[in-house]
Amino acid sequence: MYKKFQKHEGYYLSLSLIFFLGLLLTFLVSPNFVLQTIIILLTILFYVLWGILHHLINHELTAKIMVEYILIGLLGISILFFAHMGGLI
Amino acid sequence: MKEFWHHLFLPRHTNNYRAGVLHHKILLSFIIFFFSAGFLMSYLRTNFPSVLGTFADISNQQLLLLTNQKREENGLGDLTMNDNLSAAAANKAADMFSKDYWAHNAPDGITPWVFIKGAGYNYIYAGENLARGFNTAPDVINAWMSSPGHRKNMLSSNYQNVGFAVSTGKLSGEDTVLVVEMFGSTTYAPPIVAKTEEKPAVALVASGSSATVAKTDTETLGVQKMDSYKSKIVAATSLPQIKPLINSETLSLVSIRLIMFMFMFAFILDMIIVERKKVVRFVGHNLDHMFLFSLVLLLIIVLAKGVVI
Repeated sequence: MYKKFQKHEGYYLSLSLIFFLGLLLTFLVSPNFVLQTIIILLTILFYVLWGILHHLINHELTAKIMVEYILIGLLGISILFFAHMGGLI
Repeated sequence: MKEFWHHLFLPRHTNNYRAGVLHHKILLSFIIFFFSAGFLMSYLRTNFPSVLGTFADISNQQLLLLTNQKREENGLGDLTMNDNLSAAAANKAADMFSKDYWAHNAPDGITPWVFIKGAGYNYIYAGENLARGFNTAPDVINAWMSSPGHRKNMLSSNYQNVGFAVSTGKLSGEDTVLVVEMFGSTTYAPPIVAKTEEKPAVALVASGSSATVAKTDTETLGVQKMDSYKSKIVAATSLPQIKPLINSETLSLVSIRLIMFMFMFAFILDMIIVERKKVVRFVGHNLDHMFLFSLVLLLIIVLAKGVVI
């Protein structure tokens, strides 16, 4: 895991930075629900596109990998949606 | 059975060297599950609140006990529970729900002091703390104590009485548990008297996130507003909490924790085994997905936290 992190240090650091910014902005615009939703969706969209782009540049990008990133992104959104509908957030 | 679990969590020949729970079909099933369950929960919370609803384990007695505990720790006397102040707090909560606002002053200009006077409490000093989205009384008290303005109210020697309301309702379409704490005193506190007499008719001291007022004999604002809104205040009904059969927040939290733990476990196990066995395969990085899941968890932690004003 550490080797993989080291090998793609720039990729993971940029991903962490965007996630941190997304988290910070979500907190700062609270309680504006619409803005929070937009920020979260954009952060997850960045994750999907960044993951696909990373595979396109550094590995072999297949349709299966693209679908995987999209599904994981959607899973993240569906979990947050469930938490929201359940009154948790 | 063992084979089934191995197929789900261990990358092996039966699952094309990718943990079964990470296959596209299973991921899609979970996405559909979370979206459908979300809609179902929303439907049940709206139509059957006694079955599935929001409930916070917060009582007036707990809040009084903890408030006095904090005051004692700071060398101050206990506050006594006052029914009029509790009625004022309940009316304030009902007003916030009916007019859909989250503030000390209502959009139509009604101040907290109007509710206090409307409930028959003739204050010399009064103050108000508000909280929403908390599940336990200690969480509410700790949040107030961490905020300078609220702390000032909690530890003010001006007050003798306190009243609380814990109410459930909808704010901006969201099921919310509101906690209102109203402080008051009907006599002057000895050390403050000299200062107060030098102040103008109405001295409103709003300190960031909470509000405090010291009244003299000729208060104008409160009287004007109170007359025009008294009927509305009386008409506003307090919304006591109804304990549902299932707490929706607990249900979502437990479900999310279980499923996310399962995915994290599968990602880690899948990554370790594939690296050890040197399996070559074309899939996304598990580490990326773990990053995203960590973000989702952090978002839930940040957004689930209650707020005070």
